[in-house]
Amino acid sequence: MTLDPTEHTIPELGPKIKDIDDVSELEEILQKEHRGENRQGAIALIQSRIDKFSEDDEDDDDGEIDLAGMSVADVGNAVRDLDEVADLEALLEQEETGEDRDSVKRLIESRIDSVQGSDEDADEDAEEVAAQTPEEKYPELDHPTADKKHVRALDGGDYQDMWVYCETQQGELIDVSKEMLGKARQLMDTYNDDYDADEKVVAVVIGEDVEDLAEETIAYGADVAVYTDDPTLSRFRLKPFTEVFCDMARGAGHEFGREDRADEEWHDYDEPRYTVFPATNNGRDLSATVQAELDSGLASDCSDLYIEESMISNPAKTGKPGEKVEFQRVFHMKRPDFSGFEYSTILCLDKPDREFHPQGASVIPGSFELPDPDPEREGEVVEHELPLDESWLDVEVTEFDQLDDGVDLTGREVIVALGRGIGSDPTKGIELGLDLVDAFDDADLGLSRGVITASYEFDSHVAGYVTEERQIGESGQVVEPPIYIAVGISGAVQHKVGMDESDTIIAINTDTDADIVDFSDYFIEGDLFEVLPMLTEAIESGQMDVKAIADGGEVADD
Amino acid sequence: MHSVVLTKGVPDFREGQVSFDEDGHLERGKTPTVMNPNDKHALRAALQTKVRHGGRVSLVSMGPPGYKEILQEGMRDVYADDCYLVSDREFAAADTWATSITLSAALEHFEETPDIVFAGFKTADGETGHTGPQTCWCMDWPIVTHVVAMDVDTEAGTLRAKRLVEGDVKEIETVETSLPAFVVADPEFAPSYRTAGERLTLKDLRAETKERAEEYEETLTMWDHEELNLDPDYVGLDGSPTIVSSVDPIPKAPAEREATMVDAADEEGMSEVLETLAPHAAD
Repeated sequence: MTLDPTEHTIPELGPKIKDIDDVSELEEILQKEHRGENRQGAIALIQSRIDKFSEDDEDDDDGEIDLAGMSVADVGNAVRDLDEVADLEALLEQEETGEDRDSVKRLIESRIDSVQGSDEDADEDAEEVAAQTPEEKYPELDHPTADKKHVRALDGGDYQDMWVYCETQQGELIDVSKEMLGKARQLMDTYNDDYDADEKVVAVVIGEDVEDLAEETIAYGADVAVYTDDPTLSRFRLKPFTEVFCDMARGAGHEFGREDRADEEWHDYDEPRYTVFPATNNGRDLSATVQAELDSGLASDCSDLYIEESMISNPAKTGKPGEKVEFQRVFHMKRPDFSGFEYSTILCLDKPDREFHPQGASVIPGSFELPDPDPEREGEVVEHELPLDESWLDVEVTEFDQLDDGVDLTGREVIVALGRGIGSDPTKGIELGLDLVDAFDDADLGLSRGVITASYEFDSHVAGYVTEERQIGESGQVVEPPIYIAVGISGAVQHKVGMDESDTIIAINTDTDADIVDFSDYFIEGDLFEVLPMLTEAIESGQMDVKAIADGGEVADD
Repeated sequence: MHSVVLTKGVPDFREGQVSFDEDGHLERGKTPTVMNPNDKHALRAALQTKVRHGGRVSLVSMGPPGYKEILQEGMRDVYADDCYLVSDREFAAADTWATSITLSAALEHFEETPDIVFAGFKTADGETGHTGPQTCWCMDWPIVTHVVAMDVDTEAGTLRAKRLVEGDVKEIETVETSLPAFVVADPEFAPSYRTAGERLTLKDLRAETKERAEEYEETLTMWDHEELNLDPDYVGLDGSPTIVSSVDPIPKAPAEREATMVDAADEEGMSEVLETLAPHAAD
């Protein structure tokens, strides 16, 4: 018994006919569709299957299309495969001299325009493409395609407010949570002025016994604090934290929300326009999964954020090739990129047929000022109760321990910082740096970001020193010792902000054009592999002996 | 035990390898491609699992056909059994979300569900750290990120790992979960081979893989969007929520100090530097 296509929706039909490879059987199914509902998407689907198994006949098909007797839908399918303007114009002529149907002529003309990419019709074209269902557009795939099951967007939302995920640790808000609240306050104050709006800063706090912390976020700039309190969430766990955050973000009656959701007052504040997370290990993970669950995008490890208009020409976003479109109220997320070689500004923008909201960012701790709390500030604190699903709890924390404070480079008398100048022999470079550190009474070793990201291979006895906790600069520690020795560091701006308050800065570098010359007190021109041992020796003996270098003469030649 | 390792080709950011154009922009085309350095930690975690528990390791990467060599490099490092390149012009210019949807479709395309998927932390070019968690989110598996040590209990079908937590203080957590599971290795991941038997296995694997890596294309499978049944509008640039709107060279810091220039071979100048340093010398 031949399959009756009219008994199935188009998405169902794909899998149904997937295993049928008999052309005559497929032809029969096609006829049933023609006689029945005659849906264009279904016809395309069946036709593509027929084409796949009747390759021998393909040449005939391509050579000549006889429009007489073809339905409008058939013509639509047929012309979609033609890319030659000449062929299409021949068809147009054929129709004019034949049945001369207006609808058919329009179809062919529109195909000609689309092939030529004519500018005046770009708008119509784009709309036409957007209006096509995936089944019509890609009949060769099985629908729904594998990607669709991951799309659970906040579609058609009334997006407002900036949400700040406030991470806690050992019963306190961590500093970056407060820094983000301060920044969010500034951004939304400006936003409300600029757009004559009244959108809020919403703090989100999740954990055990976090009501007080939720209240505390008000003092740091939040208008509304939403919290979920559950002993199961005393330690961060990615799955339940993501589910709780997304449950807060989804409006009442949302397609992917809970059915039993109470219509609480604070839902005036759901569907965030912007979301901000800390770029810590847990905060960054959460930002990724929350934005994924809401089918939106984000930029990680940002050091600056601002909101303004943006003119966009990318056709993937505008749907209008060759045209610029202004996007409103765009979150501009600026981050050091490519291992610190460049700053990139990332935007998260809707498409004509798919909304990408909220626009998300994670923020490098220390990027924004730690605000002073204002205990007088008033705001609303709301508990968001949510029964946790057992299946969310499949990763269990069985133990935890605080690690030693790690390396604290602040408060030292001398910092010896190494940069990519050690690249020709990284292990030796670290050894020489450590020797110099030892020559001082109270010194420690720092590193530029470049050394951390360079993926040098270090011998095991020095590898332990090459960790992010020794990094100085924008995404590392900020130091201001009496003496700062910058060895083989070119002096990128991100490094500068971590050390330029030092009393005396001494640079050792072969390149007198390196940026660091502009913020050094002494610039020793020389090869660090020669200068460091000499300096170590001099500090230990109290005598400067430059003979080794003067005799070698290698530096002077460079 | 079947492990899959995700890896990516990135520009080689080592000194001297990076090219910039006249405006100070990175020239990706002129910078050689290498395996993402952080992925080596994922490879090491997978290798440790293979040495201790046996089984098969597959490598998966997404990128242009030229990335095949990255897989070869990875095969040598992790002693992998086979490799897969997810490659299609439709996948180009994907951000992390479009990449994750694509990779999860690839992972679900294996005939049998793998036991563990390993990923590295940030890539050297994008540096987002999002792709691992988002790929796993699509598959709805348990995930353990920032892993510094781990082991598998094959009989119980569980995984136990230590992971790093940052914040105002650093913490280390021990977590347990069931397989299949997703593991994101931290750059501080340290493999350990405790017994002589393990070290011997490692040596045997190395010899065996060396040959296989030479002929790696025999074990290479390419998957495109049709094979993975992905809608081109939902992958690559078209499926990406984010775009890069501008890239600026890091601005030069304004001059704030007047440096005294000292030639390292000049005794007088160097003595002046020593005078500044001497009060801080160790006793």
